Amino acid sequence: MKRLLLFVLFALVLVPAARASERHPSLAELEGEVMCPVCETTLDQSSSPAAQQIKRVIANRIAAGDTKTQIKDRLVAEYGDAILAAPPREGFGLVAWWLPVIGILVAAVVVGIGARRWARAREPAPVGPPLDPALERRLDDELRRFEG
Amino acid sequence: MAKPTRLAVQGLAVALVVGLLALLVWRVANDNGKGVSQRLDDGEHPTAPAFDLSRLDGRGRIDLASLRGRKPIVLDFWASWCVPCIHESKRLEAAQKEYGDRVAFIGVDTKDFSSDARQWQKKHGITYPSVHDGSGSVLSKWGGLPIPRIFFVARSGRVVGELIVEEDLPRYLRQIAAS
Repeated sequence: MKRLLLFVLFALVLVPAARASERHPSLAELEGEVMCPVCETTLDQSSSPAAQQIKRVIANRIAAGDTKTQIKDRLVAEYGDAILAAPPREGFGLVAWWLPVIGILVAAVVVGIGARRWARAREPAPVGPPLDPALERRLDDELRRFEG
Repeated sequence: MAKPTRLAVQGLAVALVVGLLALLVWRVANDNGKGVSQRLDDGEHPTAPAFDLSRLDGRGRIDLASLRGRKPIVLDFWASWCVPCIHESKRLEAAQKEYGDRVAFIGVDTKDFSSDARQWQKKHGITYPSVHDGSGSVLSKWGGLPIPRIFFVARSGRVVGELIVEEDLPRYLRQIAAS
């Protein structure tokens, strides 16, 4: 119950923030999400003329009231998908999003199976049922005779 | 682990490795790794890589392959953010006055914002048509950045040279106009 409450609380805090970011994006956040087409870094790490041009376009679109999605769509229409720092969440781009998750899950399963097998191997060997007293006595006698 | 499960996991692992190897082989086989510029440096005269892109002025498209056998071509890779491109495009604009009837002058606006590119053409008085290569995929086949890059394509579709020094422009123009 506590976990559910925490989840709802987080959702209440994060969802409005994400919506605000979508409706009123800032230049700084978009600079981290858009690539400079000539320097292979994000815009915030580049001061090349090509990067300056795109920063200016983004600033103009923000001033015109475009949403983050509209601005990104416009950039993709001009430069192609590679202008976005993150791959698209559709088509082949989904592979980049899901492959790490699948990799982590597979690794967790492999580690889990390995740990279980290792723990089983360390368990002491099962002890058999006690010997019959008559047989044990006879065995002791035989050993004594052999040693004597 | 049960034997059938172990076999399935091993089979999956082998299939994954084989798949990745096949992908690598396909990538190597489909990528000659060299742009036109590098092949010219090696003394080759490759066939001009085809492209079919929208014109910046909105008047349809230009299909480079459709010009093969019809007209020699001067291909100018430029962008509005590229300062040296101004000088080179102006030189081509002047050359077009003399050779425009025999040679097709085509600009390729690359990695650029199209509305800025149109303003740039207007501002600098560039009248030969340009296509928009926003992603730079055409540029990468011809040699990639930096720009400007100017190539000369004979009527046959073979690339005869790239402009390196100023004197190359009149020399290659004469050569392709006579092709």
